[in-house]
Order: sequence, then structure tokens, then C-alpha cells
Amino acid sequence: MPRLSIEDLKKIREESKATLTLRSGQARAKITVHMGTCGISAGARDVMGALLKEIEKLGLTDVIVTTSGCAGLCSREPMATVELRGEAPVKYVDLKPERILRVLREHVLEGKVVVDFALASGCETTA
Amino acid sequence: MPYRTNVLVCAGTGCVSGNSFGVAQTLENEIRKLGLDQEVQVIRTGCQGFCAEGPIVIVQPDGIFYCGVQQKDAVYIAQEHLLKGRPVRKLLYSPPAEKKPIPALKDIPFFAKQRLVVLRNRGAIDPERIDDYIAVDGYAALVKALTEMTPEQILGEIKKSGLRGRGGGGFPTGIKWETCRKAAVSRAVDPVVVCNADEGDPGAFMDRSIIESDPHSVVEGMIIGARAIGAKEGFVYIRHEYPIARERLKKALDQAREYGLLGENIFGTMMNFDIEIVQGAGAFVCGESTALMASLEGKVGEPRAKYIHTVEYGYKNRPTNLNNVETWANVPLIINRGAEWFTSMGSGDVSENPWGGSSGTKVFSLVGKVKNTGLIEVPMGIPLREIVFDIGGGIPEGRSFKAVQTGGPSGGCLPESALDMPVDFDSLTEAGSMMGSGGMIVMDDQTCMVDVARYFIAFLTEESCGKCVPCREGLRSSLDALNRITQGTGKPDDIGLLREIGEVMQDCCLCALGTSAANPVLSTIQYFKDEYEAHINKGVCPAGVCTALIEYQIDPEKCDGCHACVHGCSTNAIIGNVKQVHFIDKEKCIKCGACVEACKRNGILKVPRSHAA
Amino acid sequence: MKTIKLKINGIETEAEDRTPILAIAEKLGIRIPTLCHHPILEPYGVCRICTVEVRVGRRIRMVTACNYPATNGIEVLTDSERVRRDRRMILEWFMSRCGHVPVIEKLAAEYGITEPRFGRGDEECILCGLCVRVCSDVVGAHALGFFNRGTTRVVSTAYDETSPKCISCGACAYVCPTGCIKIEDDEMLIRKELPLGPLTPVHIPFMQAIPHKPVIDRESCIHFKTGDCKICEKVCEVKAIDHTQTDHVDEFDVGAVILATGFKDFDPSCMPEYGYGKYKNVLTGIEFERMNSASGPTGGRILMAGGGEPKSVAIVHCVGSRDERHHKYCSRVCCMYALKFAHLIKEKTGAEVYNFYIDMRCFGKGYEEFYHRLLEEEVRFVRGRAASVSDFPLNHTEVGKLVVRVEDTLIGQVRRIPVDMVVLATGLEPQADAKDLARTLHISCGDGFFAERHPKLAPVSTATEGIFIAGVCQGPKDIPDTVAQASAAASQAQTLICMGEIEIEAATAFVNDEICSGCRICNTLCSLSAIRYDEEKKISVINDVLCKGCGTCAAACPSAAITARHFTDQQIFSEIEGVLYDVRT
Repeated sequence: MPRLSIEDLKKIREESKATLTLRSGQARAKITVHMGTCGISAGARDVMGALLKEIEKLGLTDVIVTTSGCAGLCSREPMATVELRGEAPVKYVDLKPERILRVLREHVLEGKVVVDFALASGCETTA
Repeated sequence: MPYRTNVLVCAGTGCVSGNSFGVAQTLENEIRKLGLDQEVQVIRTGCQGFCAEGPIVIVQPDGIFYCGVQQKDAVYIAQEHLLKGRPVRKLLYSPPAEKKPIPALKDIPFFAKQRLVVLRNRGAIDPERIDDYIAVDGYAALVKALTEMTPEQILGEIKKSGLRGRGGGGFPTGIKWETCRKAAVSRAVDPVVVCNADEGDPGAFMDRSIIESDPHSVVEGMIIGARAIGAKEGFVYIRHEYPIARERLKKALDQAREYGLLGENIFGTMMNFDIEIVQGAGAFVCGESTALMASLEGKVGEPRAKYIHTVEYGYKNRPTNLNNVETWANVPLIINRGAEWFTSMGSGDVSENPWGGSSGTKVFSLVGKVKNTGLIEVPMGIPLREIVFDIGGGIPEGRSFKAVQTGGPSGGCLPESALDMPVDFDSLTEAGSMMGSGGMIVMDDQTCMVDVARYFIAFLTEESCGKCVPCREGLRSSLDALNRITQGTGKPDDIGLLREIGEVMQDCCLCALGTSAANPVLSTIQYFKDEYEAHINKGVCPAGVCTALIEYQIDPEKCDGCHACVHGCSTNAIIGNVKQVHFIDKEKCIKCGACVEACKRNGILKVPRSHAA
Repeated sequence: MKTIKLKINGIETEAEDRTPILAIAEKLGIRIPTLCHHPILEPYGVCRICTVEVRVGRRIRMVTACNYPATNGIEVLTDSERVRRDRRMILEWFMSRCGHVPVIEKLAAEYGITEPRFGRGDEECILCGLCVRVCSDVVGAHALGFFNRGTTRVVSTAYDETSPKCISCGACAYVCPTGCIKIEDDEMLIRKELPLGPLTPVHIPFMQAIPHKPVIDRESCIHFKTGDCKICEKVCEVKAIDHTQTDHVDEFDVGAVILATGFKDFDPSCMPEYGYGKYKNVLTGIEFERMNSASGPTGGRILMAGGGEPKSVAIVHCVGSRDERHHKYCSRVCCMYALKFAHLIKEKTGAEVYNFYIDMRCFGKGYEEFYHRLLEEEVRFVRGRAASVSDFPLNHTEVGKLVVRVEDTLIGQVRRIPVDMVVLATGLEPQADAKDLARTLHISCGDGFFAERHPKLAPVSTATEGIFIAGVCQGPKDIPDTVAQASAAASQAQTLICMGEIEIEAATAFVNDEICSGCRICNTLCSLSAIRYDEEKKISVINDVLCKGCGTCAAACPSAAITARHFTDQQIFSEIEGVLYDVRT
């Protein structure tokens, strides 16, 4: 990767912004599994592993799976945020490998939020 | 006079990444230009739930929704809709009528009451991808600091923001930076910037989360600080017990270096600066600044007298600016959005004097006996009650609130009477505790406050470096007294003795570990003296915690003889035949609590020890 | 340097800005107790007993006086109620760890502590760190350090083992306020001291030294080992110490030189059969002499290397002397000093003493009588040259002993005699550079000792006019004889000076200025160094006083520029003609 000039920075910002949200590109869904130390110690790696395996099995190419740090509500880890294009993101809590598979099937593929372990939809407030 | 129109701009992280703040700023500017600022108010709100269409702007009471609003659109909205009363058709948005089956995040108190500044990117970006950080305006503040601001201007902005150290000391950051720069210039010596990521307080994990979720915010802050101070070298001293955070930070540094954001000629300017990660080795005392610098130099991590300040003579006798992780993470936003925005949050008034208030937000780790444990960020000055009951969700299992411990081993316990106190630097210190680094432990009626004091003193006794007499021996003698009390052999003089020990330690200890070590004891004596007296005079632990003062008893009303407890007991202390009421032999019981766990009927109680002895 | 004003205990005073309060108080005669403070070390501030109350502006702070820098306008209280309360508890804390240490008990009594509330511990070390700091910062040896954290903190060496970095300087014991650091008698210490080494780097060489002032021994001075220390310079009030002094060469023009360059002790390391250097309890004569000296390393006690007095001592005569392999001559003094040792050993320790001799040379006044006295003192004399010393035991009486194997020629048997200590009566040798010195001065050197002009009639002068010799450099002799020779040499030199004029030989040589080409061949040939080269005139010049008229230069001169007076070619040819007159005609 080359050293950036200020112009380069602006370009990367524009490009990455588009992929960070689902405004452009092929993906129609993004699943973020939260992997802070709290999440990992609660089993987030197993959740992630199960999710990736299932996506590979189903051969899905338009679902982005990514990680991030802790989402804040450590007592309900493992957590994941599911965002479908055109909809507000939904935060899931108390996840286990079998539960994330349900989320994948029912929410991502069929469009129905899994109410049993969905906490809420929307984004946090920035000051 | 009430406003005739409110313009609600969504400040959810989704819309913010679409530059909703820029939109809000432009709206405010236009409203002022059009002379409408007495009639129209711009409010930044929590997430409205339409994240995919953001940035969302809602005009009330008109009930008009705009979506996908850009800054140039904001000008148009102001002129057309707000001034002339004509809604802008091409931006209109009809929110879907059907309600979602699940609540909105803004309606959940845990999230609704938080205001993310430092944690703005949490959960939203991959911390191991620098491009993600750049996507959310990362390093834009650095560009501004390098190309549009002089070091003096950066110093001025930080000073004006009133940012105070988030590691516990609460010292005005701008003044610290300025003193460091002055010392470096007058002595013609290169200064050093250091990030204190040693976070030793038990129960505190703010710094860990910040580095795990958003390491670049810290890196960017340090580069900006280095420019302001004139430093070419920077260190992050991170504790050994944070391997994931360290890995992510290392990746962040490597990626920043590849992009030329660290190293020589940053962004093609004359600035050279790089950061090295140095690992701690399991000593709490190395979170103290002089001990940290000794450890950085490869010497034993022991503090020295701070009559000579480290900003003038610190690492290798060079002017050294040390700040906490959270402090550094605040810097890029202050540069990007301005000191005025920062002072619009918080309590008190920092316009004349940074010590006059607490501006900005604070990250707390909310743990203990509370329903929602986790990492929260709230504006300074929020009442303690809101944190515990709204954000925290209150005390679980129907128990009642007893105290909140803030500030870790250097802080104190605050009782119910303090719940309406605003949480900021000065109120907490006045009440006998301190903000500390942000650890907040909630305690219920089943917590013994004497045991809490004993826990912290035992922790500090382990961690004291042992260099000075008052800390080393004072902690030992405090621990002896507290052990006596919790074991039922406390003497009436012990309370006065603990107070005296605490006062002498506050006077005479060499470093802040020692001088603040007495806080847990002194604050619990101040607010919970009755518990101490119960232990000493009556041999009773009201919370039922101190094992020497309680005994386990089977409630004959509840016991149905299921024998489950007998299987759990490792000392054969439970006597009873199946289907008959069981009975615990006090002589054999070691009070491990296994029977309580095993009993399905909640039939085993902890009661005060009867004075048979 | 800014001057500031401040108040201590209500007294107004001035001081340099940022001076520690302790120093200012000391000047005013106000006593603040300290435990971890020492004038030659940087303040450490860990005992906290020097805590004082300081009002800065409207704030009151409790600070340590030893390192708090005074600023303008502060008010200090060194003995307020609060200070006393704090100090009292600090002392109680000290007592909880070190309840029986005198310096703590004394301070505690001053603050009225009779029943320390935290008990009385039995530790001796108060963890003041003075020893660690003096070892690192002043001495520069870095042998001591603090280990462990919190209440388990201790002072020790690396891995709790005897530190190879420790240079046994004793500074740690010197600064320790409780006396809990002790210097142990290491057996190596006695060994190192014996070869004429001084005890301390700063010492007066010997009792009779003139000037009677101390010198610094470069070998043992810490400054020359580590670059630090220089405590002596810091404490010398008249600033008489200068570590940068080096040897310098002075030149004098003199008319007479007396050589009294002494001797070298014979080193028996080349005689492995005696085990010198291998066994710790085999000593040379001079080493044993040093041990016996009251100003020596043992204070005059006769001790073995492991400590304790020997029960039996062997003294071996003629070590290195009367020996085909080493020196054929007799060193003259060894028999008498060996007898002296025997007597001293008997007197001081009552041990069994064996002298192994070839002949007993007691030639002087009272010497033979002294020998007989020793026979009465039951010193055992064995006539026979000791063959070997070994520690290999052949029976149980020899275990742990040094066994001397000797042929006792008077009874004609080879004996093995086990002893605790062996003293080798080593002989005298010329100095190692005697031959070089002789060459430089153009005097002769026979077997290493300088040659006198005549063995009977001119014992203190040499072939070279004006150069005299005295003492053992001329040949082994004892003190009375040395003193006699010294007087003789001095008086001969004095004679030269007093005469004012010298009678010189008439038959000297001279150089013809006009013929001399300045080739300087004659310069090197003159064995009396009587010819020098004049740089300005570029010719050689003969010193009449030194020239003895040997004629070598005259014969060698290629230009025939030198004439030996009274031996001109003309005169010699005339002489020859005269002698052969009858033959010719």
C-alpha cells in the first residue's frame, strides 16, 4: 500500500464509505459479529465459525460477514448486528451457534426478524 | 419563547457516517443567515430507525420526513421549507407505516441514554481495517491539524475544549500539553508522548474496549498531540493482560505506517513521528505515571516523587506528556468538530477555567449487581441514578440498591443518598470518592461494605511496590484490622485506627497509589459506619457475607427432604433422612455455599452466627 | 540562580530557588529527623519520616523535606501537631517490622511511643536503600538491589548469591544506619593483602613515610575501577585530592648519583615442588613478614588462610639461593630472618616450629647467641634441604596438613613432617631492570648486582666517576651493612661536592675543533660517556673530568682529530725509536 497524500485519503474515504454501508456493491446483507474480549470469552468465535461455515455451505455471495469490537452490552454477549439493504440494522443478543443459523435463515434469507433474541433495531446516538 | 419549528437531525451512527452532523451544522448556519434562529431550532436526536435512508431530517410539527439529506440539500431545505414554507418534494420520505416487531434502539434505556463520542465507531467498523476507519472520517482531523492548524492553534483548541484527563487525575489536557511543549522548547530537548493503557483497576475495561473497537482513534489522537507538542517519539504502554487489544493496536500501527501516517514525512509534510508499543508485566503500580516511565526505560517500575513534574523531566529526563487512552481518543473529534461542540456537553463551566467543570463525555464500565452490565458512554453531569437504574436497568433479582463504587482502588463507595449527584470530576471527589478511570461497580444489599474495603486493601497490599513505608506498612496494618473485623475479632478502636491510618497515608505516601489507597476504607466508614459497628460490637455481618460471622441454616418450612444438598456437601455436614427435614451441623460446615446452589426450594438461608462460642 | 524568601517555623530566611527544605533547615539549625538520607547521596524520600507541613498559597501540603524544592513565599512547619502525628505513626510502622533496631527505638522514644500499636517485628533491615544507592551511584559496582514487591521487599544481591560485582569496599556497611550489614572475613582477603598491597586505597604507605601524607593506590581505588566514587574528593575540606594527577618526568643536572635501588624478592612460583601459589598456606618470607606487622592485614596475628592460628609451621631455608637452578649465591639475610620468624611464631602462637636448613649463617653481632636461644625455645632444626611440600596424606596424621618431605642429613633418613603452614625463606635477587639501569649509567653489572670499583678497597664507587652504589643493589646484605654502605656512599658523594675542585688525570684526550667532522663515532665508543656532541658547533667535545685517557676514541677517530695527551703519535713513535735504538745501530 502506498504512502497516502491527502487526496488519496479522500478517495479511500469515499470508496470505503460506500462499502461500509450497503449503498453500493453487490451485497444486500451485512452481518457484524461483535468480537471484543467479552464477546470472545462468551463464545463469539464459535458463533462466527458456525456462520461462516453455513454461508459457505449455502453458497451465498451477497452476504458480507465482518467483525467489530464490543457493542457495549457485555452481559448479553455474544452479539451480532444484522443489516439488510434498505432497512435499519438489528442487534441480536445471547447468541449461540444454532441461533445465528436461525438468524441467517429467517432474517437474512427470508426477511423476518427473529424476535426471540433480537434486542432492538436502529443505531446508537452519537453526541 | 418557544420555537415555532423544530428540525430533528438524526445523530444515530448510521446517519452520522452519512455526514448528518455536517447537515445539522449547515442548517444552523443557514437558519442564522436567514435570521430565523429565534424561531427555528435544530436538534440532534437519537436514531429514528430509518438508517438505510439516512441522513434523516424530520421537521416538526409539520411531520415532514426528508431522507438522504446532503449538506447542499440543507441549504435548500432552509431556504425553501423553513423560510418560505414550501417542503422540498424531491427529498421527501414516507416512513413505512407498519411497526417493527421489535423495539427501536432509541427506546431501550441502556442505549438511549448514552452519547457516543469516544465509542462512536463501536460495533460499526472492523478495527483491523484502516480503510473502515477512514470511511468514517478517520484521519480527517489529522489532515486538518497538519495543514490548517499550527501547533499553537491545536493547543488552543484542546485548551478551549476543557478536556480533562480521563485516566483519573482529571488534569486539564490542554494545559499539560502546553507545559510540555514549553519545557521542550526552553530546554531544546525532544519531548515524548505516551499513552497509558495499563488500566489496572479491577473491573475497569474502558481502555481495552476502546483499543479493541477503534484503535485508530487513539493513534490519530497521539499524532495530533505529537504535532501540538513537537514530539517525534511516542509510546503506548499496554498491560500484559490485554493480548487482543495489543494485537489490534499493533495491526493498526502497521497499517498506519504503510499508509505513511506514521514514520517520516507524514502526509508529505515535515512531520516525523512514530509509536512503539511497550508491554507491561503485571504490576498495577505501573499505571502510575512515574512508575510507568521507569518501566519504559527498562528500570524497575517504581514511582518517584512528583515534586519535579514529568512534563518537564519524565522519560529519560525529557519532557514527557502522558495521557490515558480515552483522553487521546477524544482528540480527533475535538479537532474535527471544534471545542465549542465539546463544551456543549457536560457539566459546569469551562469557558474561563478548565477546572470549573467537566466537559464532554465519559466512558464507564458498569458492572456488579445491575441488570445491564457493559460499557457505556454518557455526557458528564448525568445523575448517578440514571446510570444505575435507567442505563443499568436497576438491581436484579428484586434486591435493593446499596452503593456504587467508583474509581477502583483509588475511589470510594457512594450510598443511596448520593444517587442524585451528577457524575463528574468534582462532585464525585467532594463526596469522598473520585471518577477514577471509569470503573463503576454497583452493589446491592447482599454486599458487605467492610468486605469491599477489605477486598480493595488486599488488592493494594499485593500491588504496592513497597518502596515507601506508609504505603507498604500502612496497607498491611489496614488489612490486619479489616481482617480482624471481618473475622469477628474486631476491636472498638479499630474504626478510629483505620481512620488514622488512612489520614497518615494520605499525608505521607510517596505516590498516588498510596495516598488514594485509604479512600475505599474512609468512604465506607463515612457512609456505612453502622456495618462496621455491627461487625465489631455485635459480631454480625448484616449483608451475610463474612463467613466467620454467618452460618447456614435449613429453613424447616421449605425443606422437603429431597437430599440434594447432602450430595453437594463435601464435609458431610448435613444430617437428615430422605423425606425428612434436614439439618446442618455447624461444626462441620465450611460455608462453601454448595448446598445453597443445590437446593431447588431456596430452603437454605445465611443467618447471623449465633453466639454459642 | 534565583534567591527566594520563605518561612520555616516562623523564622524568615532566604535560600536559592528549589533548594530542598531539609538543607535550608539544617543551615538554620532546625533538626528534621531522617532515616534514608545521606549527604553524599541523592535524596530518596522513602522513609517519609522527614515529612513537614508546607503552606503554598492557600493550600496546605504534606511533603518530604529531603527532596521538596522550596519556592518563593512558602511557609514550612517542621514540628506541628499534624507532622508529629504522622511521624509517630510512621515510626510505629517501622517498629512493626524492625522493633529492636536501635536507631528506630531512639526515634520512637523521642516521639513518645511506648506501646507500638502494630507490634514489634524482628527484622534488622529498615529498607532505607542507602546501601543500594551508595553501591550503584557512588561506588558504581551495582552489586546490591531491591527485590520483590510490597511487604516482601528485601535488599539482596542477584539470585541471593555472593555477587561477583562486589568489590569488598565496605561502603554499604559504612552507610547502613542499623548496622545490619557486616563485612565478612573472606579467606581471599588475607591472601590478597599479603603481597605488599595496601589495606585501603587511601593510605599512608608506612609508618615512617616522609612526607607523612596519604596516597591513593590506583590498583584498589574504586574510581579507577568504575569511574565513579570520588567520595574522598567530596569530603576533603582543603581540596587536596586530584584524581587526574599522573606521573611526570623531571630532569635534573647533577654531578653525583648514588644508586640504592634495592632488590627483588625471589618468587618461588618457579619451584612448583614447594606449592607456592597452589596451597594457600605456603607463604614467602616477605608475605609472612607483612602478616606479622602490627599495621598489616591481620594486625600482627599469625593466621592461616581459612582463619585460625597454625599449630605447626615449617620454615624452609635457602629458597632460590645456593641453588644451581636459580641463584648460586647465598642471600645472606635469610637464615637470620628465618630464625626471627621461628621466634615470633613460638612467642605468638606456641606452635611447633621446624627450620629446614643447609648451613646456619649467623655471622653478626649477637646472631649466634640468638640461634642458641632458639634451640632452648625448642624450635626443631632439621639439617636438610626441604625437597617438597604437598597436601597428599599418606596416613591419618597428615590429613588436612601440608607435608614437608626432607632428608634429615644428621640422622640420614628421609622424613615426612606434617605442618599447618609453610614459610619459604626466599632469597634476594637484583631488580629486574638492573642490567638496563647499569647500561644507561655506564656502570658494570656482574650477576645482576652492580659492580663496585674494587671488591675490597672501593666497595661503594663504580668505574664511572661520580656514580656510587649502596645497599643490596651491590650485593645481598642485611640492614646494618646497608646502613654502613649508605653512609660511605653519601660521604664519598659529599667529598666530591665539598672539594670544590677535582683532581683529574693528566692523561686525557682532546678533540681538535678544526679537524673534527662531527661523525660522532667516538660518542658511542666512550665507556665512560665522557664525549658529548655540541649541536651548535657540530663537533664532539670531551669532558676532561670524566675522561680516563684510555685512548679508544683517539684510535677510532677516522679524521685523527682526537689526541690522547702524552700519548701523541709523535711521542709514541719517539718512544719506540728510543727503545729500539740499540737494535737499529
